[in-house]
Amino acid sequence: MTYKQLNASVMILSGAGIAAWVVWQAMSDPAQDLENVAFRLLYAIGLNIIINIVLMILATIVVSVARREDLKDERADERDRSIADKSLRNGYFAVSIGGLAVIVALAFGQGPIFAAYLLFGVLLLGGLVDPVSRLVYYRVG
Amino acid sequence: MGKGATQIDNTIRTLRFHAGEMTQAALAEKVGVTRQTIVAMEQGRYSPSLEVAFRVARAFGVPLEQVFQYRDETE
Repeated sequence: MTYKQLNASVMILSGAGIAAWVVWQAMSDPAQDLENVAFRLLYAIGLNIIINIVLMILATIVVSVARREDLKDERADERDRSIADKSLRNGYFAVSIGGLAVIVALAFGQGPIFAAYLLFGVLLLGGLVDPVSRLVYYRVG
Repeated sequence: MGKGATQIDNTIRTLRFHAGEMTQAALAEKVGVTRQTIVAMEQGRYSPSLEVAFRVARAFGVPLEQVFQYRDETE
């Protein structure tokens, strides 16, 4: 596994973990107003970034120790750039469709709290589609 | 870059063997790509750009068509 593939795996792991945490929080302790929900989601985004960084450091150390050589990020070549472009496009596509779903939900009478959660889910989905696509493209070409 | 297997065959593995068992890492260094890209090319999972293709041929000191061959499905 290369550094880039490890990075994608860590992004998937932390994104899925944060999604599970947000859903669990929304179920167990539903927020009463939009401001409260927005703060929770902002907190989740910040937590996601921190978890990503910490997990990446830990994973790099673990893989380096297991392989007995430093796992370093290689300079991206044309294949890396092509894969990154295609994965980003997939993520953008997922976010676009999701954004539309948020507007449709609002248009059909869903409340702003639901829309905020849906918007967060859409952003998280876009953030997951990108690394999943990268892993797939690295594997199948 | 195609999806899955490409229509371009290559003889990189053979050429590496004839170049004194040149490692994938050494070839990658010469060509200026990552070792993973060389692996993907050898396995036919990635067709490089024309520029990288020329650099691979130059690394072995052979003409381009000796490294890459286009497989015409209609033939």
